[in-house]
Amino acid sequence: MNDALFDVIEVRAGVEAENDRYAAQVRDFTQKKGAFLINLMASPGAGKTSVLCRIIDALSAKYRIGVMEADMDADVDSHTVTAHGAKALQLRTGTSCHVDAKMMLFGLDCFKEPFPDVIILENVGNLVCPAEFDVGADLKLMILSVPEGDDKPLKYPLMFTVSDLMLINKIDTAPIFDFDIEKCKEHVRKLNPRMEVFPVSAKTENGMESFLLRLEALIEQTLAEKRKGAEK
Amino acid sequence: MIKVIELKRTVTDSNDRDAERLRRELKERGIFLINLMSAPGSGKTTLLSRTITDLSGKARIGVMEADIASDVDALKIDALGAESIQVHTDGMCHMDAGMTKSGLAGLETDVQIVFLENIGNLICPAEFDTGAHRNVMILSLPEGDDKPLKYPLMFQKCDALIITKMDAAPYFDFDLDAVKKRVRALNPMIRIFPLSAKTGDGMEAWENWLLNEWEKQKNA
Repeated sequence: MNDALFDVIEVRAGVEAENDRYAAQVRDFTQKKGAFLINLMASPGAGKTSVLCRIIDALSAKYRIGVMEADMDADVDSHTVTAHGAKALQLRTGTSCHVDAKMMLFGLDCFKEPFPDVIILENVGNLVCPAEFDVGADLKLMILSVPEGDDKPLKYPLMFTVSDLMLINKIDTAPIFDFDIEKCKEHVRKLNPRMEVFPVSAKTENGMESFLLRLEALIEQTLAEKRKGAEK
Repeated sequence: MIKVIELKRTVTDSNDRDAERLRRELKERGIFLINLMSAPGSGKTTLLSRTITDLSGKARIGVMEADIASDVDALKIDALGAESIQVHTDGMCHMDAGMTKSGLAGLETDVQIVFLENIGNLICPAEFDTGAHRNVMILSLPEGDDKPLKYPLMFQKCDALIITKMDAAPYFDFDLDAVKKRVRALNPMIRIFPLSAKTGDGMEAWENWLLNEWEKQKNA
């Protein structure tokens, strides 16, 4: 038994090191292609696909958008996203609870030319495991929805620590849930002072405009840096 | 990669043996263990709080709170006067039989029904038998009616599905009949209880099922 336990730990360290190598390859790849990669993470049902559709609607006139849908075993979201006019790839993770950098690299390679300017990975609905795996994204975007409760940063701290930008979604349902936005922001700030927080409703579009403007600015800035890097 | 797969099989095999042993031991001790699983924020703690209050006098209930970090939930259960144990998984995304056994060793009072409140996660906990006598899951209405399509294993593994936050129905497009159909296609035997732990609507059917299953366990 002890031997088995020791093996698991060893493999895990190896898996992490291997993942970091693949993440570096993903960064090289998107640098070369001049593409901006977003890793979108949240609990099941927090509204990843709805937010994604809003992003596509807002930015598809300016950028070619590609979407990678990670699902254990379904392609419901791919149909939704394709209907909004983005190129979608369905990644079947099997029983895996997250996307790792190797899966990401494999998926990126499947996009045909002209290569997308912005690629959004809709990760598996899970607040735990996806936070542990760097997929080489330029932006880690997470969603917490109002019905989930304002205590989630206390319970799933890693996700809130590693993310760059956070949406508090479904604020239109605030009247029926006890969700304290200020308290939630305070919990998040303690874990991650750099986190940018936008309360929104993807359904009513309330708050979406300021988030989308910020996202566009981030994309512009990063793509300019990548283009400069490519010229060198 | 092959090595990882092999280890995973070793891990689940040995977990299955530990789970079977724990199930027997608990039965001998007169403890009925329920593994309660769901996504983050679907209302596990709220459901438990209401159930504990409603069943006080009928069963002595204990709760084992599994969390990656924090003890917010254990404090809430404690305030109700039920025994609660806080287990920290330290980053792990699920509970297995060994962790469950260690956690249960911390029980101090003479409880009859113990809920294991698993980590909020619709994926990994479904893969690990904890040694519980029944597996129960929660789907909350705001999560959407497509969840059985996306996380089929969880729906297959459970004996009962509780659909919570039914009072929020006016705010969401949630088709209860579609969910029932999707769930039954995966698991024809599952019992489904739509309710609101906030208003109390529908709680009785779930609690009666629980007491009935406990009775069955005692006579098994």
